Amino acid sequence: MVASLVSLMSIVAFAGPASASGESVGSCVAEKFEESLHHHQGESDHVTSEDIHHVAHDEAVQDELEACLEAPSPILPELTEIIWGGAAFLILLVIMVKKGFPAVKGAMDARSEKIRADLDAAEQAKTDAQAVQSDYEAQLADAKTESARIIEEARVTADQLRTDLSVQAEASIAEMREKAAADVEAQKAQAIADLRAEVSGIALGAAERVVQSSLDADAQARLIDAYIDEVTGSNG
Amino acid sequence: MADSPTVGYADALFSVAEAEGNLSAVEDELFGFAQTFQANEELRSTLADASVPVARRLQLIEDLLDGKASATTASLISMVVSAGRANDLPSIVDAFVDRSAGSRNKAVATVRSAIDLTSEQRQRLTEAIKTSTGKDVEVKVVIDPSVLGGAITEIGDDIIDGSVRRRLNQLRESFR
Repeated sequence: MVASLVSLMSIVAFAGPASASGESVGSCVAEKFEESLHHHQGESDHVTSEDIHHVAHDEAVQDELEACLEAPSPILPELTEIIWGGAAFLILLVIMVKKGFPAVKGAMDARSEKIRADLDAAEQAKTDAQAVQSDYEAQLADAKTESARIIEEARVTADQLRTDLSVQAEASIAEMREKAAADVEAQKAQAIADLRAEVSGIALGAAERVVQSSLDADAQARLIDAYIDEVTGSNG
Repeated sequence: MADSPTVGYADALFSVAEAEGNLSAVEDELFGFAQTFQANEELRSTLADASVPVARRLQLIEDLLDGKASATTASLISMVVSAGRANDLPSIVDAFVDRSAGSRNKAVATVRSAIDLTSEQRQRLTEAIKTSTGKDVEVKVVIDPSVLGGAITEIGDDIIDGSVRRRLNQLRESFR
């Protein structure tokens, strides 16, 4: 910053003398014309229109004036400009070499270092991201493997359970059939027994009523006599 | 087997009846009353009901036996009821009958029949039992219509069943 400000001031300071010492086309023409006019008037103190007319139509003067009209070199500046410009350039070059370049170089180095650090950080981040991605991919692979294992295990368990349930169901059905058959047999036997008991009850009831109605006093007496004979005949 | 109080009461009844000199009549009357007592639920519950005044229960006994039994029998029954032993009356009478028969060196043969036995039948049955078991017995007849016909004789633990009921039961068993 300081070097840039000094170089600008030097250009402004040296530009003034350089432009004042230069000759423009107008000044060249005016100087040649005035010089020719003085030469033409000689000892006279006054310049007349005739003098001017005479000088203006003088071919020699015209040649000199035309020489003034010739264009300056577009490449080579005036010598003073070259001197002042070169000096300013050297001063500016020295200042830049001493101050500017190291500052720019430091800034560039710092920026390069920062860029390098950023690149390193980006590289590290990329590496980390790749590591994380690898972990995720590994975990995903593990999860897929685990899920496949669980699904297979569940399928095996389901098959086993289905088989067990089928076996149990068949056993249960067989047991129920046997029980039903046994129940039927038991009910059948019970029904037969109930029927037999009912029939025997009816028959015995009828027999009892017949016996009671037929047992008159004589029959009772004969039964007692028969009983006494039975006791006698039992003999212990 | 009668328990000790029952035997004690039976011995007391026997002593009184023997002292009064009408043991045989008292024995028959007590045996008959015991059969009635067992067969009649209302009589049994009334005589055994402690909530009924004793005087009323004794009056009931007197009314039932008036003219049908000796005063000794009525007094002995009243004594048992007054002592609160009405429910034990059948077993007391059984023990009394055994005791009485035992005093005559005889056993008691309880004969259950649908009708009463004649004297001739009782005599023949007594002889038949002696022939069959070798025991001298006194026959006590219990009228039991459920026997239907024939008779059932119990001598101690021995039972001789010749009833129509038994034959019907055998027939019932044969149906099963």
